[in-house]
Amino acid sequence: MRSFDLRGWIVPILVLIVGALVLYPIAFLITSSFNIGDPQIFPPEEWGAGNYIRLFEEPRIIGNTLLVATIATVLAVVFGFVQAWILTRTEIPGRERLERLMELPYYMTPLIGALAWGVLLGPKTGLGNQAWRSLGFTSDFFNIYSPQGIAWVMALFEGTVAFVMISASMKSMDPSLEESSRVLGASKLRTTMRITLPMVAPGVLSATIFVFAEMLGSFAAAFVLGIPGRFYVVTTAIWESALSYPPDYGHAAAMGLSLFGAMLITLGIARVIMRHGSYATITGKAFRPRPMDVGLMRYPLMGIAWGYIAVAVVLPLAALTLTSFERFATVIIPQMQFTFANYEMAYAMGSLGPAFANSMILGVSVATLGVPVIGILAWIIYRSTMPGRVLMEYVVMIPAAVPRLVFGLGLLWAWINIPIPIYGTLWLLGIAYFTVFLPLGLRTIAGVVLQIDKSLEECARVCGASWAQQMRTVTLPLLRPGLVAAWLLIFIASVRELGVSVFLMGPHSKVIAPSIVNSWLTASSELSAAMALLQTVMVFIAVAIMFRVARKVTGTTQ
Amino acid sequence: MNTTPRIEVFELVVRYGETTAVDGIDFAIAPGELVTLLGPSGCGKTTTLRAIAGLENPYTGTIRLNGETVWASGRGPKIPAEKRGVSMVFQSYAIWPHMTVYENVAYGLRVRKISKAEISKNVARVLDMVQMGAYANRPSSNLSGGQQQRVAVARAIAFSPTVVLFDEPLSNLDAKLRAEMRVELRELQRRLDITSLYVTHDQEEALAISDRVIVMNAGKIEQIGSPEAIYNRPISRFVADFVGSANMIEGAVKGVNADGTMVFETKAGSLIRTAAGKRDGTTLALRSSYIHLRPDAVNAIPGTIHRRMFHGDFIQYVIDWPDGQLIVRRPPTELLDEGSAITVSFAEDHCVLL
Repeated sequence: MRSFDLRGWIVPILVLIVGALVLYPIAFLITSSFNIGDPQIFPPEEWGAGNYIRLFEEPRIIGNTLLVATIATVLAVVFGFVQAWILTRTEIPGRERLERLMELPYYMTPLIGALAWGVLLGPKTGLGNQAWRSLGFTSDFFNIYSPQGIAWVMALFEGTVAFVMISASMKSMDPSLEESSRVLGASKLRTTMRITLPMVAPGVLSATIFVFAEMLGSFAAAFVLGIPGRFYVVTTAIWESALSYPPDYGHAAAMGLSLFGAMLITLGIARVIMRHGSYATITGKAFRPRPMDVGLMRYPLMGIAWGYIAVAVVLPLAALTLTSFERFATVIIPQMQFTFANYEMAYAMGSLGPAFANSMILGVSVATLGVPVIGILAWIIYRSTMPGRVLMEYVVMIPAAVPRLVFGLGLLWAWINIPIPIYGTLWLLGIAYFTVFLPLGLRTIAGVVLQIDKSLEECARVCGASWAQQMRTVTLPLLRPGLVAAWLLIFIASVRELGVSVFLMGPHSKVIAPSIVNSWLTASSELSAAMALLQTVMVFIAVAIMFRVARKVTGTTQ
Repeated sequence: MNTTPRIEVFELVVRYGETTAVDGIDFAIAPGELVTLLGPSGCGKTTTLRAIAGLENPYTGTIRLNGETVWASGRGPKIPAEKRGVSMVFQSYAIWPHMTVYENVAYGLRVRKISKAEISKNVARVLDMVQMGAYANRPSSNLSGGQQQRVAVARAIAFSPTVVLFDEPLSNLDAKLRAEMRVELRELQRRLDITSLYVTHDQEEALAISDRVIVMNAGKIEQIGSPEAIYNRPISRFVADFVGSANMIEGAVKGVNADGTMVFETKAGSLIRTAAGKRDGTTLALRSSYIHLRPDAVNAIPGTIHRRMFHGDFIQYVIDWPDGQLIVRRPPTELLDEGSAITVSFAEDHCVLL
């Protein structure tokens, strides 16, 4: 009965650790949201609901948040769905290369995207608007410092997340389901509408919810593009509350927790909807998805796919590159003054090297330690009959619902108030990253877990394998595509992390993103462009190395 | 010779929430026997199989394997699937797509920590048995349905289990392949003397391969018996209807003859001599294949041929007779024209009163 002992121990230990990591900071948040006394004293001396009542005095912030998140979610899911459909289900030229390139917007990060789009379409000085005006127009082409502009930038970069999640569910769909529709006389369009869409609907739904949650907690774009026009969403309002003097932690916590409540309700509804859909599309009968033949439509479809890459990656990077080499950002050729001064300045600041190394260390270790743990969690939640697994899913998903910045605040207080001296070290950042990326990993792996036919696992048990053996030899290898995807996503999310890092990094544990924010706050946009570009190049190099390794690993075992 | 039953099931009840899938069934399977659980979908046959495998938790009852109780209600033992030593062929085959054919088949041996040499010897032996020897090093993700089926069977027998459970293993194959695999499975089972419990909804398959058939309906057992007994002596309307092709004739018993045969009067007033079934039965089950289209001494009733359908292996006639229509199956040599006047006749032994 050795195997049963293993199962009997791993599960409760994981539940306890994960539960504590997630709930402990939340407990701090809750207590401080009810603290109406001195916000810097813990535990609170005066209790009350004043912080929550104050939320209704500023309904504009909630309205702004929902407006931006909704526009951005719709755009991102549309981007992700269209790209996923084109790249997994149609036969367009250069499909594989495009699929690899689709990862790029995610590595770009919304922070860099926002900086780049600010440089591109900022009022009057934006490169695009400069060019527009030079054509004789008297107003801007588009002001990116607007709710639509913020949503646009957020959607471009979150679109990749939607793409990854939706294409995973599309790839595992039995093509004969579509073919039988065609055979029964339905057109391609009708088949797409009546068969493909309903089949991938659970995947799209879970992607939508996840993206919406990310949007609510999104900080960088609203920060870079909203603050100049004094357009606040909840995260930037929290940032302002927490960092203004005197800091208003209670107000920040109340704002964050209200959003968190709304997200819990949304996830609950989504869960009920998804329970009614069948996911068992990977059966023991192995099959390979076949892309459908779209005829001459493949050229326009290829154009759409490349268009997304151009707008999300090429254009922003081009703008940043141009700006970073200029003394003053401009596209008017006679006014251009090229210089290396911005790079020299970035180098001279001396903090970029350690920050980059720290981010890499954190990314690799958090992803490597996190993926096995999250994989087991996903199996427990979606496969086992263990009591409490529904509650468990909620607990693991909490960090997705709590705006990142607020969670950062909660983590800050939680870890400052325990007698382990890890504040200001990479350890704390690692623990924090693992906690906030739990939902990202769980969603990615769950997509695959739900689609593995149960009999594949049952057969292992009947053949005599213990639970642990079944996990090692059947479940985990079948989950591998999901696990590799989760590793990549967590690594990249760690490297670009901003919301938690701004609160938890110390002088000896600097990481990349907050360093760039500091530059944006205190120095010129040209210098920030140079730093952002350096970060992007470094991340891209790291990603390229990693992809090569990942391809080698999957290549030899298949 | 050891005669302890390999599988024993007592008063087994399986529930899913409010619905009762299996409603108190008992049976036992002797060593070397192949027994089929036959019934329409939703009758509880697969649930019973899964409960024996340890993949489903019963509500009450007892399950014994080789005389050892592996599951009993209350404080009884609850042995997990992997410790029961049974093997199973799944309806979906459950071939692991990330492993080669060899790795799939070797799985049950590897988890038993058997030496490498022993494993490769055993895998080669069973793969040869299912004629998949040439495919050992192929990835299993692009095998045909029949090949996957063979691999699934090889995997199930590779670690020499005492009992193999088959969950509709042939239902995903085409008719010809299904008929071939049926013969092969039976051959393999006989040769290796594997005790088997086999679930199917295909009555023809059940009759063809089984030593005994258990007919299930709505979570209960309708009848247990040899294929011949199930076919010739159904004890309920459900069994007569579900297994084989039968005519149901309504009426009542009028009297008993001196030789013990009964006189059955149909609704239309025809008198039929019958020798089988319940004395108070009101339905007469008559197999289509047991009706002759020539006047015989007993039970000769006039009729006309309404429709003729040539099936190749047999001809199916629809006969108009006083009690409506009769389905009759004759060998393809007995070719009669539609509209001909004929006399149907059948032996008293072949009319079963239900």
